[in-house]
Amino acid sequence: MTVRKSMLLALGLVLSCGVAQANTFKWASNTDPQTMDPHAVNSAPVLGFLNNVYEGLVRRNQTMVVEGALAESWEPLGDKGWRFNLRKGVKFHDGSDFNSEDVLFSYQRASSEAADTASWFAPVSEVKVVDDYTIDFMTKVANPLFPSSIANFMIMDKGWTEGNGAALPSKDKENHATLNANGTAAFQLAERQPGLKTVLTPYGGWWGKTEHNITRAEFTPIQNSATAVAALLSGNVDMVNPAPIQDAARLKQSGGVKVIEGIEARVIMLGFPHQADSLKFGTDAGKPNPFKDVRVRKAVAHAVNVDAILQTIMRGNAQPASQLVSPAMSGYSSANADRPAFDVAGSKALLSEAGYADGFSFGLKCPNDRYLNDEAVCQAVVSMLAQIGVKAELDAMPVRTYWPELRKDAYDMYLLGWSPGTFDAEHPIRFLAHTPNAEKKLGSWNFGDFSNSRIDEMLAPIQSEIDPAKRQAMLDEAAKILQDQVAYVPLYVQPLVWGARDNIELTQRPDNFFILRWVTVK
Amino acid sequence: MLAYSIRRVVQSIVVLLVVGLVAFSMFRFVGDPIDNMLGQERTDADIERLRGELGLDRPFVVQYGRFLTNAATGNLGVSYRQGRPVASILMERAPATLELAAVSGLFAIVLGVALGVFTAIRRNGIAANLIMTISLVGVSLPTFLIGILLIYLFAVELGWLPSFGRGDTVKLGGWSTGFLTSSGLKALILPSITLGLYQMTLIMRLVRSEMLEVLRAEYIRFARARGLRERAINFHHALKNTLVPVITVTGLQLGSIIAFAIITETVFQWPGVGLLFINAIQFVDIPVMAAYLMLISVMFVGINLIVDLLYFAIDPRLRVDRTVTEG
Repeated sequence: MTVRKSMLLALGLVLSCGVAQANTFKWASNTDPQTMDPHAVNSAPVLGFLNNVYEGLVRRNQTMVVEGALAESWEPLGDKGWRFNLRKGVKFHDGSDFNSEDVLFSYQRASSEAADTASWFAPVSEVKVVDDYTIDFMTKVANPLFPSSIANFMIMDKGWTEGNGAALPSKDKENHATLNANGTAAFQLAERQPGLKTVLTPYGGWWGKTEHNITRAEFTPIQNSATAVAALLSGNVDMVNPAPIQDAARLKQSGGVKVIEGIEARVIMLGFPHQADSLKFGTDAGKPNPFKDVRVRKAVAHAVNVDAILQTIMRGNAQPASQLVSPAMSGYSSANADRPAFDVAGSKALLSEAGYADGFSFGLKCPNDRYLNDEAVCQAVVSMLAQIGVKAELDAMPVRTYWPELRKDAYDMYLLGWSPGTFDAEHPIRFLAHTPNAEKKLGSWNFGDFSNSRIDEMLAPIQSEIDPAKRQAMLDEAAKILQDQVAYVPLYVQPLVWGARDNIELTQRPDNFFILRWVTVK
Repeated sequence: MLAYSIRRVVQSIVVLLVVGLVAFSMFRFVGDPIDNMLGQERTDADIERLRGELGLDRPFVVQYGRFLTNAATGNLGVSYRQGRPVASILMERAPATLELAAVSGLFAIVLGVALGVFTAIRRNGIAANLIMTISLVGVSLPTFLIGILLIYLFAVELGWLPSFGRGDTVKLGGWSTGFLTSSGLKALILPSITLGLYQMTLIMRLVRSEMLEVLRAEYIRFARARGLRERAINFHHALKNTLVPVITVTGLQLGSIIAFAIITETVFQWPGVGLLFINAIQFVDIPVMAAYLMLISVMFVGINLIVDLLYFAIDPRLRVDRTVTEG
């Protein structure tokens, strides 16, 4: 009896799957979004996933340009702040109306102490509700970039969130918003099993124009890259992000599958200890720190053959980088687009000029699970530096121990990748180039304590300058200083490799966000 | 008997506490969870604040003590990664691992005993030799390789079975089972074979050698002389007498099937506690790591304790020896 019952049940499930199969889209990624709360965690897997469920006042289109989402339009209030005119007639997934109270509530929630997203609102002095569909974000100083800096600030419904006891995001205990979602975006959360499966279904009441033809979307995290590739090849999933770069060529050759390549917003670079007095690793440990001399840093920049790294390790998928942001970012300095040429002789000349004709030995710290093929890149750097007589001892480690090492200044040179959260050149200046200042929350990732008074002085004007030409002039100057001083050696822009079945059309955005409403299943 | 039991129980508890202490002293070397918990825009002050809130700035002995006092009240803490209670996460994940372990255990025992008997009876047959040779492969190939090979053969090339995951599950109370759906059953096949293959070959070889031993025994010859049928001799007389050591080994192997499901679960993205543990290591999710390690050690120590107590109950020589030495 029970056997027959379960057979019937199984049959029913098979049939019900068969009907929906045509437009069920399944995709896999190596990380599960750890929460469904858009303000609890500021990490790409969470924000990228939730962009399908929640919406911000503004959003980014296929080419990263900011466009209206829940705000139809916005205008500066002189240099005091920004007014957002909200879209009317928008409803949350549970049917309740969207208005400026929800924006104010979301602002309070997202900028609270408990939220991981509070730093987005550091420039904000006050938020004022003007009427049901108008809201003002007042800033402490003029802030031309504010609207585009809050593209991932997602709006929650005040009634739903408070009514379910989730008025504040929480990290150390579960609340309703950890597992449930009520957004306004094109998809709603149908099922959430953390680490297992998350199901989204199209939201019929969405305000926008539907471009996709998905009836059901299932997300599964798959950690092991070989398993992910097998799942794609066997058709168990329709898309994987990322596809392992070493399998890209093979995937292209196998039938039914295609590879979508692009470049990410992330620039990979080498960093130096700018203030340390002595080397800490290698046979020269304890001797004076040669990287304080700009000629030595220049020699390193000229010794690394980035093209060779890209050809061999990245299989031609990445792009060399000249500065801390990629050309796709706003504020990129075209005037400083040249990167130091690969020049062993020139590099050696610089070293002997600096008094290191016989080279020296030092320790290179590197993560081995943070960036694409990061350890292999570091090994290549080691062998390239050996050609100019500099002996690097490589110490590669998982990222979970890597950051603490860098914070302890336990390195002589390190590898860092930086993706500007605002997609603007100001971002790395604030985090990587400004002199570290805990109080002002500046230079918080500037492990090497690079310090340049002109850079420090220009940051605030760059942040508040409204005239684009004047602003770009300052960004150009900053990029030039960072290049001349070799604050970092930018190597390349990290590639983005996704794999998909042939019948899937999708858009790959440089921030590695996967947006479901641009997917069509043929 | 009572004194012996009490002593063994106390010893087991001490072992558990020591395992926990060692685990906690190791967590520092796994890495620092703080960077994973805070976003790109974190400041040093945020790092210090969170470290203080989580108690990570305290010595590991203090952290361990706090874990123990909480665990004693049934509170296993909250996952750093998911922000949810560890106990409920473990409850969600346990059925997947237990069902996988049960099926692969069954596979290992049934096939292991059957093939063991077969290879013992047909000691010189071609088929038996072939099986013995192939079983060497099963013992020597690492689990993840077997898993990947099976995936490529049966999922990618032939397309018969799913390449990952658990298929559809049905909720029965708090237990999610994959036994009741066709996709759930199909999804069980490859991971069970991968996980059970080693145990299967182990049992097979054990049964074979025990069986060969027994078949040489005098009472088998007497049975033959009595004119009993081969079938009755092999299965009734011989097999039964080979099973005592087999049962002991199998019981102990059950624990390792659950504990070492980690690799199989990673290869097949099987959503069990092993995969949870791997995730936890990557994120340095200390509450989850601690709970998992304690759970596994409770299981191992528990099984060993039961086995010890059973020996004592079953084997009269143990008792005799003890009274003699103590008397």
